[in-house]
Amino acid sequence: MFRSTILAVGLLALGCSLAPAFAATPATAPAATQAKAVHVIVLDKMVFGPMPTGVRAGDIIEWVNHDIFEHSATARDGSFDIDLKPGATVRTTAKAGSFPFFCKFHPGMTGTLVAK
Amino acid sequence: MNKSVIALVLTLGLGSLASVHAQQAPAAAPAINDAQIAHIAYTAGAIDVTAAKQALSKSHNKAVRQFAEEMARDHAAVNDQALALAKKLGVTPADNGTSQSLAKGAAAEQTKLAALSGAAYDKAYAENEVAFHKAVLAALDGTLIPSTQNAELKSLLETGSKLFHEHEMHAEHLAASLK
Ligand SMILES: [Cu+2]
Repeated sequence: MFRSTILAVGLLALGCSLAPAFAATPATAPAATQAKAVHVIVLDKMVFGPMPTGVRAGDIIEWVNHDIFEHSATARDGSFDIDLKPGATVRTTAKAGSFPFFCKFHPGMTGTLVAK
Repeated sequence: MNKSVIALVLTLGLGSLASVHAQQAPAAAPAINDAQIAHIAYTAGAIDVTAAKQALSKSHNKAVRQFAEEMARDHAAVNDQALALAKKLGVTPADNGTSQSLAKGAAAEQTKLAALSGAAYDKAYAENEVAFHKAVLAALDGTLIPSTQNAELKSLLETGSKLFHEHEMHAEHLAASLK
């Protein structure tokens, strides 16, 4: 798990030239030369861990499922629906706004992702 | 402690469990060890996996099948973890009266469900899942978790409790949607 974080950070550092590929979000996307912040959300033991603060539109959200169960991060407004198998790490790009989400398998698992 | 056992009995309708406990546990709380607790938790999970497999072989309802797939997947995951933990701790899960009563009650329920089909089966399966998860949850929170000595087993059972709670809510939604 530690290894995957290091790997992720390493890839990101190497991937400065790849930055334009992530700049899917229009207008507010930061300059391509600037490394994007990565915010990690860890799931374990049937809970979403603490939500990241200071997220800006265009930042990377890394969803890491350390649990033994399959979960999902499903936005209530339908803007994302991320399947998270046990051990999975999935990256998405933050959009501006406040996004309440839940796990569609275990709807008592909830969180709200906020990005400016 | 007795109250949760009674709740387990009432919800499951397991008369046999009631009599076993009435005989064995008159006043004092029954001493239960981690090997027995692990066996009860494992048995409960295995029962729900078996029920889910039956549902997958019988039901054509999409919502019922999705629910059953979730049950089979989640309970198998906990039970794999429980076996791995037992091995690591050098504990052999020990069969006991509660496990046997659970298994007996589940077998009877499975026979009952086997005789049904279509919407009647779907409804009965969903309702039984509500009752089963409620009963196990009461036993987990009321007796099993407080009695567990090993911290890792306790932590796994606590995760199991959250899981059973989620499944119970899911089962309730499912049962309500089939009315
Ligand atoms: Cu979940």
